[in-house]
Amino acid sequence: MNSDGDALGNSDTNQMVVSAARLIRDDDVCYVGVGLPTLACLLAKHTHAPNLTVLTENGVVRTGLFPLPRATDTLSMQTLADQLSGLFYVSCLGQAGFVTIGFLGAGQIDRFGNANDTAAGDYLQPTHRWPGSGGGNDVASFCQRTIYILRQSKRRFPEHVDFITCPGYLDGRPGRREQLGLRAGTGPTAVITNLGVYGFEDGEIVLKSIHAQAGVTLAQVKAEVGWDLKVSPDLCETEPPRDEEMRILREQVDPAGLWAGGRRARM
Amino acid sequence: MSKVTTLREAVAAHVKPGDTIFLSGAQHAEPTAAIHEIIRQRIDRLTLISVLTETVALLIGTGSLERVLTGWMIQDERSAALIRAKQMGKLPEFVEYSHFGISLALLAGQMGVPFLPALTQIGSDLMKYNPHLGTVRCPFTERQVGAVQAVTPDVGIIHVQRCDAEGNAQKWGSLGVDREGINASRTVVVTTERLVDTDVIRREPNLTIIPAFRVSAVVEVPFGAYPMHLAGCYNEDIWGWRREIMGAEAFERYLEEFVYGVRNWEEYLEKRKALKGADYLDGLLLKDAVLSDPLPSGY
Repeated sequence: MNSDGDALGNSDTNQMVVSAARLIRDDDVCYVGVGLPTLACLLAKHTHAPNLTVLTENGVVRTGLFPLPRATDTLSMQTLADQLSGLFYVSCLGQAGFVTIGFLGAGQIDRFGNANDTAAGDYLQPTHRWPGSGGGNDVASFCQRTIYILRQSKRRFPEHVDFITCPGYLDGRPGRREQLGLRAGTGPTAVITNLGVYGFEDGEIVLKSIHAQAGVTLAQVKAEVGWDLKVSPDLCETEPPRDEEMRILREQVDPAGLWAGGRRARM
Repeated sequence: MSKVTTLREAVAAHVKPGDTIFLSGAQHAEPTAAIHEIIRQRIDRLTLISVLTETVALLIGTGSLERVLTGWMIQDERSAALIRAKQMGKLPEFVEYSHFGISLALLAGQMGVPFLPALTQIGSDLMKYNPHLGTVRCPFTERQVGAVQAVTPDVGIIHVQRCDAEGNAQKWGSLGVDREGINASRTVVVTTERLVDTDVIRREPNLTIIPAFRVSAVVEVPFGAYPMHLAGCYNEDIWGWRREIMGAEAFERYLEEFVYGVRNWEEYLEKRKALKGADYLDGLLLKDAVLSDPLPSGY
């Protein structure tokens, strides 16, 4: 789902992948799209979450390891899966409450965790078009924890997105999701960028940690947000990628170097 | 009764200008050969239901589509297909859903009900612009839920691994929205990698995705999903293919050479081999096939 063209070997991309992997639990059922989320899932599977169940929107359900795929559906992703179903089946697992975590990219994300994957500017006269929801709206509607991974800029972090493709906490009022009919106990719980890691409190994005060891400052983070950003009283430095995590990414997750070398080779 | 025919005849007989069509293969085995044939026959004003079908760019770029019901579609200003459609004054209207939303529209069509409730799309602005999405109050709990209107394509085209002459079609691997989409379609055209005896079908009937009485035409088309992958058969070369249609000139050249410049899929594949080497297609075949255990049935 990530459309940022990031690559391993680029240090802030490494940080995004590693930070995402650390949010995955061993008993999670994870809805994953191609790109950084797949890297994060594989890293987690190779380290602290070997039992992670991975779902792809085309219907693959698998717990076995798999080679890093170049697309959402590949023969290597299908081969030796635990179950092959379809998009309807996998989505129903989410709608019925069985998908614990989902990763999404976004064109824009706002103060209340609403994401735009559709249109910049007016929908009918857009200044830029992204490809649209895909499964994104479904993931954001269903998952107990929806986690966004995207590069941060003021343009991509407006106070209100131009178009809500994926609902976050909407206008931030408590209970708004449930009022609209969305499943209770769902919604975005984290946003991971090249500058920091965010959580949510009372429906609003809160800065939790800064990639300080990569040279990022609080002023820099605030400059790339389109509203007066709430900062956690427990703000800390993001733990940088450990050598072991980087070794596993290079040697086990992506030995063919599809993502290594500073470019997104044929992904 | 055998329904085996040629792709040219199947498309001419069953796909009409103005039809609503479903194309199978959300990322796994599109009916690419059939898509090329539709363009070659210049069938237009189509409404297409598309979930992640790649070669649909060809239908857009040739101005064949009036409307696209979709969840995800490259609509980038730089897309050669969109620019070409716009120049022709034939940019299709995009009606946008979430992917689950589309699968529900198709499932409602398959079920024969006017709509289905859903807990998706309701928090989004998709609701504002797509007239086929709404909300409804649950008659039992009074709770508000989303609603997705049924869609019943005039014709659905699916590419499968195997099918018998009567039309019992079997597809395996990840299924995307194939099951709902093809069963929602009023008329069904099957293209198949291999025609097999009915006995082969009947020894593994769980794999039948649609039964013969629902199928109008069967066409044997080896490599019919190329450049996509097909489980148990071949790998994709979608990355190479995408580059071939990238940019206005390249797009034009592909159409001239590989759509209008051939009479059928056999010629298409020959031309691909001429371009990429005699062993090119063989190189896409599975290198390491995994076989399942035979399943007993009988009494």
